[in-house]
Amino acid sequence: MSCVQSCTSVPHSDEEMSVPDYMQCAEDHQTVLVVVQPVGIVPEDQFFRIYKRIASVSQVSVRDSQRQLYIRYRHHYLPENNEWGDFQTHRKVVGLIAVTTCASAKEWPQTSERFHGQKEVFGSTLYDSRLLVFGLQGEIAEQQRTDVAFYPAFDQCPDVEKRVEDFVESIFIVLESKRLDRATDKSGDKIHLLCVPFEKKDFVGLDTDSRHYKKRCQGRMRKHVGDLCLQAGMLQDALVHYHMAVELLRGVNDFLWLGAALEGLCSASVIFHYPGGTAGKTGARKPKQSQPADAGKRHRPGAQEVLIDPGALSANGISADTSTEIGRAKNCLSPEDIIEKYKDAISYYGKYKNAGVIELEACVKAVRVLAIQKRAMEASEFLQNAVYINLGQLSEEEKIQRYSILSELYDLIGFQRKSAFFKRVAAMQCVAPTIPEPGWRACYKLLLETLPGYSLSLDPKDFSKGTHRGWAAVQMRLLHELVYASRRMGNPALSVRHLSFLLQTMLDFVSDQEKKEVTQSLENYTSKCPGGMEVITLPDGLKLPPVPFTKLPIVRSVKLLDLPASLRPHKVKGLLGQNMSTASPFIYSPIIMHNRGEERCKKIDFQWVQGDVCEVQLMVYNPMPFELRVENMGLLTSGVEFESLPAALSLPAESGLYPVTLVGVPRTSGNITVNGYHTSVFGVNSDCLLEGLTNVKTGGCLVEVVPSLPRLQLTTSLPRSVNVLAPLSKEELSSRVSLQLFNGETQQLTITLENIGTEDIQSLELTSKMVNTKDGISVTGLPISSPLRHVLKPRAEKSGGTEGGKTEYSHIKSLEAVLNFKYSGGPGKVEGYYRELSLGVHVDVEPSVFFTRVSTLPATSTRQCHLLLDVFNSTEHEVTVSAKNNQDLVLHASECQRMAIQVDRIDFESLPQREPDPQRYASAKQLEEERLRAQGCQINSKLGLCWTIPSLRRQGEASVEGVLNQLVLEHLQLAPLQWDVAVSGKPCDCDVVAQCRVGEAVELEVRLTNRSQGPVGPFALTAIPCQDYQNGVLNHELQDAVTFIGSNTFHIDAVKPQEKAVCAGALLFLCTGDFYLNIRFQDDSSSSGGRELPLSWFCLPSVHIKALDTPPEAGA
Amino acid sequence: MAVCIAVIAKENYPLYIRSVPTQNELKFHYTVHTSLDVVEEKISAAGKAMADQRELYLGLLYPTEDYKVYGYVTNSKVKFVIVVDSSNTSLRDNEIRSMFRKLHNSFTDVMCNPFYNPGDPVQSKVFEGMVSGMMVQVS
Repeated sequence: MSCVQSCTSVPHSDEEMSVPDYMQCAEDHQTVLVVVQPVGIVPEDQFFRIYKRIASVSQVSVRDSQRQLYIRYRHHYLPENNEWGDFQTHRKVVGLIAVTTCASAKEWPQTSERFHGQKEVFGSTLYDSRLLVFGLQGEIAEQQRTDVAFYPAFDQCPDVEKRVEDFVESIFIVLESKRLDRATDKSGDKIHLLCVPFEKKDFVGLDTDSRHYKKRCQGRMRKHVGDLCLQAGMLQDALVHYHMAVELLRGVNDFLWLGAALEGLCSASVIFHYPGGTAGKTGARKPKQSQPADAGKRHRPGAQEVLIDPGALSANGISADTSTEIGRAKNCLSPEDIIEKYKDAISYYGKYKNAGVIELEACVKAVRVLAIQKRAMEASEFLQNAVYINLGQLSEEEKIQRYSILSELYDLIGFQRKSAFFKRVAAMQCVAPTIPEPGWRACYKLLLETLPGYSLSLDPKDFSKGTHRGWAAVQMRLLHELVYASRRMGNPALSVRHLSFLLQTMLDFVSDQEKKEVTQSLENYTSKCPGGMEVITLPDGLKLPPVPFTKLPIVRSVKLLDLPASLRPHKVKGLLGQNMSTASPFIYSPIIMHNRGEERCKKIDFQWVQGDVCEVQLMVYNPMPFELRVENMGLLTSGVEFESLPAALSLPAESGLYPVTLVGVPRTSGNITVNGYHTSVFGVNSDCLLEGLTNVKTGGCLVEVVPSLPRLQLTTSLPRSVNVLAPLSKEELSSRVSLQLFNGETQQLTITLENIGTEDIQSLELTSKMVNTKDGISVTGLPISSPLRHVLKPRAEKSGGTEGGKTEYSHIKSLEAVLNFKYSGGPGKVEGYYRELSLGVHVDVEPSVFFTRVSTLPATSTRQCHLLLDVFNSTEHEVTVSAKNNQDLVLHASECQRMAIQVDRIDFESLPQREPDPQRYASAKQLEEERLRAQGCQINSKLGLCWTIPSLRRQGEASVEGVLNQLVLEHLQLAPLQWDVAVSGKPCDCDVVAQCRVGEAVELEVRLTNRSQGPVGPFALTAIPCQDYQNGVLNHELQDAVTFIGSNTFHIDAVKPQEKAVCAGALLFLCTGDFYLNIRFQDDSSSSGGRELPLSWFCLPSVHIKALDTPPEAGA
Repeated sequence: MAVCIAVIAKENYPLYIRSVPTQNELKFHYTVHTSLDVVEEKISAAGKAMADQRELYLGLLYPTEDYKVYGYVTNSKVKFVIVVDSSNTSLRDNEIRSMFRKLHNSFTDVMCNPFYNPGDPVQSKVFEGMVSGMMVQVS
């Protein structure tokens, strides 16, 4: 039964144990190793199902004793590891469960043969074995064999667990017997020397009788018994044996075995202190049901309480007497001691090159213990040591495994960064150039696992908060590796996603050269697989969120633009419910509802119109050192159906802020919110939401879209002005015309309105207003320029949508007027909206002619007078001035001439009196001005003064308004008292010569019509005849020639307004001749109110009478 | 003298990292990055043990094959890491300490600059010069 003997029987090339079991932990020392293997052809999935069921029997309470047996199952175990079974018995394969299929009884012998062959592999160490045969039932004669079980099928084996338990019990029996066998060896007997494979040749020819050799044998055997005790569930015994082994082996400097003994001591102590196990979650063993909760005070059932009696350690043998009652505490190591002893053990192992695996495993076990103890620093020291253990030539796979486990252990002690470092090394190892078939998938998976260690998440949202703070260099390397690995995996979508992420989050850390390279490779990838906004889900469930390029280009501000002035909708005022704020019931409140987050949702105070192109202006810049082409850039909106019209733009390298206007058409009405924009850069489509962007200024993103409105286009007969020197006013004009005119010139302007929208125009309203300019007083600086006169009379609408307007100005440097067209229609009108179109008219007025002086001369008729005008030609051309019924006056440039015009006096009172508008003429002064203006107007039309510039073929009217002073006006005015004198019933005026016969009575009638406002009179009039000798002598001594019949004085009583008074007399001519009658007011009538009236009111026509001898008929 | 000197912010991202130009810079990034595990462990252990008695010098963080990594943490949890060549055995613990003290003083000056935004990368020329003085001179 000796193991050592059988060891030699199995030849092997390498004495070293080369493959470490990194999953090992301290409590594995108390397990027995059972190998479960398929024999012949067994479907893999079926095998592992059975394996799982077998492995579920991991601890068995042994019958008749209260001890527990722990089983470690392996489906793969190297025979050379088995050869270290004497060194540490948990490495020894003691059980074999073979799983096989057997279709018919015929095949059975062959199957049985294979089973035996399998047993041979571990034959030297096996305590027992079992064969599970699937496919046969009761057809074999020798089915009574206890080591074979038959099942009809893989899913018809309900008692597998039971059989395994029985099997474990049988192993226990062997184990127990071995334990007892070894423990009770007589001290006098020669003890076989246990050794590890590589020692064998060292002991050839050694003196086996020496004391030293014997002690060595004893020590090693003690250690071995300790192992067996531990496996058999006798913890305390094991501790005692280990202690003794330590003493013995230390004495003979057998360091390798001393290390093993110390490690055994540690393992036993760990099992005692940490019944939950040290393997972490995956390997956690369930605490035994029988164990009391208080582990520290618990006694293992069946374990003998022993304390080493130094005296019992006789040099000549192993005392089996462990029954002495010894306190536990002395045997079991304290948690601190466990670590110390592990350190010692590892340093002893370190002395042997060939024990690398043992050392490494001990390190791993110690680290697990330290992790439980939460002593990360010391654990890291153990790991640091483990890193340097040289295991000779390792295969690539082993290297990967080693780095992975290091990473896992570092993770276990909370060293995330170290863990990530080794995981990354493992990942790189997967694709080392020496590997013929690089495992890019494994590499990628491992790389993903390192992300937390480098505090890198693949969600760009985590990087949107201000500047990136992290290990950029390291993180970028990792991202590059992810990109490369995913590309080699043949998943370009992943590459694109990672590369986009790199570009988006690490932009600040990438050099210009790298920027070029990265974008170039990104474009290469996207040519095969365009990047988008979908979430990529990896097979293991990891989700890669989309990476919108919010930095390519960088957006600094987003501004929704109002429609152009001509398309802006206006709300009809006075409509019910307009501008009704429902936010607060108070008209004013000092408490302002501050909500900063609302700023973006704030409604903008203009509206967009359904169906009309709306604009949003972004200020962007390109952070790249090369030209950035942004394609398909459009708006992302919500709330209203919106047709975005994407734009493509090209931003120069490292551009400054660059305005970009994105446009779209809302298709329905309501509130629209601009949420962001979408772009396509380097083949990656991005949806950039404003809420995720920092440093973006917006003036609100919510705007109302009103229902559609008609759209008018305005054209004018005159060209639109381009160079407008001074903007008229703050208000925006949809279009404007400007012209140059001479003062008084008339220009016709035709405005054509066309409805280019989709809605019918249902209403159109036209208004106009003047914009007075400040410097419009005078062109020349002379104080007598005429004041501004303007008429802007829109005519009635014409058919065909055309409209005429006449503008007329005079004598001002520049004039501006605005024509407004309000129109509405369609659904927008229903909602109370209209649009306004405004046309600005700018006129530069050059002076033409003006009047420097005005005076009057009375004409021969009292109803007329002469107006004398000094006309000045201020143009540089020859001007012809004409008036109604008058000769033309030719004026050279800058010439001044006087012209006389005979005009009928004007009866201002007969002017149509405008209804005094109290709103327009607030004060009496204004009323007076208006009256004067009206008078001026009348005079102008009466005069009909015109000028023409023949050389330019231009003409216009000249106005005397403003130059008329009060005196002139009075002269021009028809007196309110109208005097008519009739001779013989014929009215007489200046030039009319009344004829009469000598000796006949001539009737003289003086009629007064009062057109003034008040009553006048009474008056006394005296008619005085006189004769003009035409030499300046007037003869009033005509008593002989003319005689009055009756009085030569007429009396007129007071005359009320609008009434007439007539007084009549008669005179008799006594001789022929030309006579004049002067009718005068008598001085004595001064008592009456007549004197208060202006003198001009008492202007009576003079009467010229020719007295003839013969009757006029005869004389002719 | 040092082959790499790093200043790490409270939130464990680098404020300043400089290594000997002849070497692979990224390697030192990894070295300093992984050393933070030990720094954190030491800080948390120290935090429990001695709240009042503050030793800023953390000592040797871990030795690698070629380098020794030393750590130092200020009261505001800003960390300094100095990597020295393992072959340089003449360097004594006291010298390392004095290097850290110099580093600390210089960093304090940086922080005192009203134009320096705490948390931003250190770009001070004076600091740079001081660090250069402590680095291995490459000819």
